[in-house]
Amino acid sequence: MTTAESDSAPRQSEHVQWFANLDQQVDCTVMTKGVCKDYVMGEITIHALDDVSVSIGSGEYISIMGPSGSGKTTLFNCIGGLTKPTAGSVFIDEIDVAQLDANELAWLRCRKIGYIFQSYNIIKVMTAVENVLLPMLFAGVPRDDAQDRAVEILERVGLGDRILHTPKELSGGQQQRVAIARAFANTPAIILADEPTANLDVNTGEQIIHLMKEMNREMGVTVICSTHDHKMLDVSDRIVWMEDGQIKQIRRREDVDIKVDRLAEKE
Amino acid sequence: MGEGQIRQWEIGHLKLRFEVVWSMAISSLRVRLFRSFLTCLTITVATAFMMYLLTMPRAAEASEQQSWYLMLTLALIVAAAGVLNAMLMSVSQRYREIGTIKCLGALDTMVLYSVLLEAAMLGLIGAIAGAIAGGIISVLLGLASHGGNVFQELELGGLGYKVMFVFFVGMILTTLGASIPAWVAAKMPPVEAMRGEK
Repeated sequence: MTTAESDSAPRQSEHVQWFANLDQQVDCTVMTKGVCKDYVMGEITIHALDDVSVSIGSGEYISIMGPSGSGKTTLFNCIGGLTKPTAGSVFIDEIDVAQLDANELAWLRCRKIGYIFQSYNIIKVMTAVENVLLPMLFAGVPRDDAQDRAVEILERVGLGDRILHTPKELSGGQQQRVAIARAFANTPAIILADEPTANLDVNTGEQIIHLMKEMNREMGVTVICSTHDHKMLDVSDRIVWMEDGQIKQIRRREDVDIKVDRLAEKE
Repeated sequence: MGEGQIRQWEIGHLKLRFEVVWSMAISSLRVRLFRSFLTCLTITVATAFMMYLLTMPRAAEASEQQSWYLMLTLALIVAAAGVLNAMLMSVSQRYREIGTIKCLGALDTMVLYSVLLEAAMLGLIGAIAGAIAGGIISVLLGLASHGGNVFQELELGGLGYKVMFVFFVGMILTTLGASIPAWVAAKMPPVEAMRGEK
């Protein structure tokens, strides 16, 4: 995190050239332009995000890497309309998120964005199928139709035999599958997954990542996934490195293959 | 599927569905049944006391009249504070849940109404039980002190109105007590709520 003492003027970062190239891409699902987010904590201002500009095409699978405190979650919250950036704007399919009123934001969250959290955030008092039903009910889908779709999508994520289980009766991996089913329930355009595998063991984590990749391919959904784990990078189209609230690097997966292998060896 | 790829979409609006509000309120009551029961009991006791005060043999002296009003007011305040406390607890236990459903697209009004509806249902049950219990206590205490001619001594004039009055006061108090927690819950920013802060 940079503090108020350090210079907060816009810096020429490595992504500028890359960004210029991407402007040619027409269908862009998510675009952030110079997004800054400051948190004032007493005397100190923390720049959680510092001039973050990134364009993410439709149907892409993006991994965001970076140490904790690098601003990944803040970026997710800005993209998802959960936090208002201090400066800069977020566009989702050319719609400026900052221009939306509360109801429109709720609509956006409900219909266009699916969230997957590190700690699953499954509603504890509801069964798997009720959890998946919820966003559809909010969207106005009739209960019977929503029920059918919820069962269908739970079968898709491999929980067909556990639809009536409550989170207590499900393992971490299974809970995260419910969360994935819930996130995909309203056929969103974007999935924001904030360290979805951090609470899972490596194998389960890999399964979850592959499930998300499959859904990404099948449904053409843009997936933005933050992670610590280098093993999870393999499925992504591009990888974004963040540090101190800034984007340090954006690389296509082909270009980082060697690096990943070497790191995998070390582990 | 593949609907995610449709680019020509307009921002829409969400409509509040009573069915969803109702099922959320019911599930919240069901899950926290014991706490719901205690809240209900608070309302019952307060309304019963109010009902008793309205029907008990009333003294004619002005000083006793005054203390009678004082007691009535106190009963109401205690009931409102009880409900406020219980509903605040109920909401604070659910910060994370509320944050999550807001991320999933729940409207502020949906959260607001479901908490209010939950309280109103508690109020309804509590007030009915309280009105009945208060009446019974009045009669029993009257029997103990006045014996057979209890029904002449009791203030039973306009009994129907009194029951209605007690019932509505119970309901309104409950809903008022819940309105602050409901507002807090509805206005909570989802991110902070999910971290369990605030």
